[in-house]
Amino acid sequence: MSNSQTLTVDHDSRPVCFSTRFFRLIRQREAGLLLLISLTSVVVGIHDVRFFSVDVWRDILVRCAPTAIVACGVMLVVVTGEIDISVGSLMALLAAVMGRMLSEQEFDISCWIGIPVTLGLGTLIGVFTGSLVSMGRVPSIIVTLGLLTALRGLTTLMMGGKNIDRLPEGLTQVAKQGFLGVPISILAAAGVIGLTSVLIHHIPLGRRLYALGSSAESARMAGLSEVRLKLFAFGYTGFLTALATIVDVPRLPKIESGIGSEFELLVVTCVVVGGVAISGGQGRLIGVLLAVVLMTMIRPALTFMDIGEAGEKWTRAIQGMFILLAVVSDSLFSWRQRHSGKVHAA
Amino acid sequence: MNAAPALIQIRGVSKSYDGVHALSDVSLDLTPAEIHAVCGENGAGKSTLIKILSGIVQPDVGHITVNGRSLNIGDVHASEAAGIAVMYQESTAFPHLNAVENLFVGREITRCGGLFLNHAAMKSQTERLLQKLGVSVNLSAPAGDLPLAQRQMVALARALSWDCRLLIMDEPTASLSNRETQTLLRIVRQLRASGVTVLYVSHRLDEIFQIADRVTVLRDGRKVSTHRITAVDRHQLIRHMVGRSVEESQRSPAGTADNSPVILDVKQLTRRGVFSDISFQVREGEILGLAGLVGAGRSEIARAIFGIDEFDEGEIRVAGRPLKGGSVQDAMTSGIGMVPEDRQHEGLILPMSVGENISLAMLRSLTRWGIVRRQAERELTETQMSDLSVKAANPGIAAATLSGGNQQKLVLGKWLARNPKVLILDEPTRGVDVGAKSQVHQLIRKLAAKGLATLVISSDLPELLSLCDRLLVVRSGRIVGELQGATATQEAVLALALPDAAESRLPEAPR
Repeated sequence: MSNSQTLTVDHDSRPVCFSTRFFRLIRQREAGLLLLISLTSVVVGIHDVRFFSVDVWRDILVRCAPTAIVACGVMLVVVTGEIDISVGSLMALLAAVMGRMLSEQEFDISCWIGIPVTLGLGTLIGVFTGSLVSMGRVPSIIVTLGLLTALRGLTTLMMGGKNIDRLPEGLTQVAKQGFLGVPISILAAAGVIGLTSVLIHHIPLGRRLYALGSSAESARMAGLSEVRLKLFAFGYTGFLTALATIVDVPRLPKIESGIGSEFELLVVTCVVVGGVAISGGQGRLIGVLLAVVLMTMIRPALTFMDIGEAGEKWTRAIQGMFILLAVVSDSLFSWRQRHSGKVHAA
Repeated sequence: MNAAPALIQIRGVSKSYDGVHALSDVSLDLTPAEIHAVCGENGAGKSTLIKILSGIVQPDVGHITVNGRSLNIGDVHASEAAGIAVMYQESTAFPHLNAVENLFVGREITRCGGLFLNHAAMKSQTERLLQKLGVSVNLSAPAGDLPLAQRQMVALARALSWDCRLLIMDEPTASLSNRETQTLLRIVRQLRASGVTVLYVSHRLDEIFQIADRVTVLRDGRKVSTHRITAVDRHQLIRHMVGRSVEESQRSPAGTADNSPVILDVKQLTRRGVFSDISFQVREGEILGLAGLVGAGRSEIARAIFGIDEFDEGEIRVAGRPLKGGSVQDAMTSGIGMVPEDRQHEGLILPMSVGENISLAMLRSLTRWGIVRRQAERELTETQMSDLSVKAANPGIAAATLSGGNQQKLVLGKWLARNPKVLILDEPTRGVDVGAKSQVHQLIRKLAAKGLATLVISSDLPELLSLCDRLLVVRSGRIVGELQGATATQEAVLALALPDAAESRLPEAPR
């Protein structure tokens, strides 16, 4: 399988020509995803050339941003060999907390307090999840399944059956218009992607997350702290979920209690389709990001296909088909490799 | 006894798990720059001793001093700081990380005040270490994709990557071929010359006699004795290890008659880039050995015969019936059984019970109307366990809790329950202690006497020589010689198995 570290090692050694570098970068799963993205764009673009406008892609990227931000965290959780399926409910809870704090009809607290509190709460809940998993020794799928329900319940209680609207003008303006014409969620996503990439490739901590997922036993023998690493991975996910909430939710006209439902499934799907091994230890950020784009572009693309209401209905089916195609293309690739007489092991 | 002051003093160390003594009251002195071998049967307490020294396990009582200073036991970092490095048996590597990353996990070289990884420095240090060890390893491939011997070298390089005063080696040669073993022993001697103390844990007595200065024998968690190596001989050592006298291995009785029917007939088997033109026959009741260096293609040939891998050309017949290539199912219905090299992963389902493991391979014959007949299953497992002398409290305990030797007997039993015509054994006694080894050998001979055609692959040359009626030597994917078991010598096998300088690579795949 591809591994994300080869890249950085090559980085420091001999210079390689661009195309070699490019193809080494885009491997197997990534190639399949890129192919599907291009094919979809071309098919839709031929049907309606307006699909290639800046506004359309800006809209697609804005839709991608929250998923990409949270996927950076969930990816690291999966790399350590765990999983987090509670991010959708966490997003809802954080949106409710943020909404009630900031809304002019509710507590009307300053953004300078409300935003840090939201980020802190997200991180705290993430660390709590991590502590149940690493210290409590409860399988993460069970912990986060519990949280998925519990946090959603808490959200419903907090909202008290009402929707929240009238967020401060400044916040919604920034969310919609962004900074220097770039939507704030795209800026945040770019920052998170950069940070995560540096973490994975250049910081000991990132390397240790992969080591832990590759072999927990060996990690223990190497003196790594399983508890600390998992607290980090879950805490980071919680922090990023809060960040995604802050940059994305104010775009919406109002906050409903059903917000973020099935978001956790979308994120986990992108992580897995992006080539991160569910058993831990391997996976590349670029694959996850491509998967986010592929999964997100389907709905906007369908609106260009003149099929009206049917577009809505087809989104899920096409998403499912793409998931299967991406995974199958991967095994086709390795099948071809096996049968072309190339053998790794001597 | 020895004048040199001890580098490491272990005093009265005991450890028990759930009331079972893994180690009781062990005291041991290691002097600077000595090679101190530790041997004992599986379960004698060697691993526990290693884990205590490396700080992974906290002993119940006892203390350790390094250069007169008390060691904070139970802390991996304290042991590292005291200069204690461990090269674990196999699998320590992180399979998804590459060699460089494997070497430095937990102790990465950093720059910018410890914030960022220093890739260049780590890479060049890895290269330097591997060069010192005389091996070349693909640095960007995940370690899990490297051949076992290279993984072993990466593990050694990891242990050497900080300046250690005590290097603990746990079965370092278990997966190495003869030549690689010699390289490793040479490196160990160099280390001693540079002042490092080596604690060398091994089942292979030959190696211990080749390199050790002193040897300590453990049995049932207790220290039996420590000797200067010149003061003991092989038989005494074995007697100390098992507490009784064992016949280590005896020459097999005269081979089978040439007129018994051919059971396994392999003709011109080729898998491009791996092996080519492999032809041989195994007769009823014959034990045929495949000798050769690790990586010569022996295991790959076995895998192709058993249908795990496909082959490109050639033919395999079992009792005259041709096999479909690449189908384990077909190989099994034709009567081939295989005990793989990696028995923990491929041969046994460790969390399942001993009984379930035995019956798994033949569930079909134990079921009626699709339901497993419990009574028949119990009877089968009980007979098998006593036939194979598997030491387990009862058939209900998990296979994972058995010792290596008993696990191996279990894997054999699993296949024998199907009454195969051909049995392929890949490294049947790797990591198995002396006592259990001779039991496994006796079992193999007994089966051959009943008419089973057996194909044995082993890196342990004395084992092949004593077990096999006939030996084929494989080099670079080809059969380069055939020797009769009765007349073959280690030297003759090695002379054939070692590659000429001109052809150290595998045959190229045609483009």
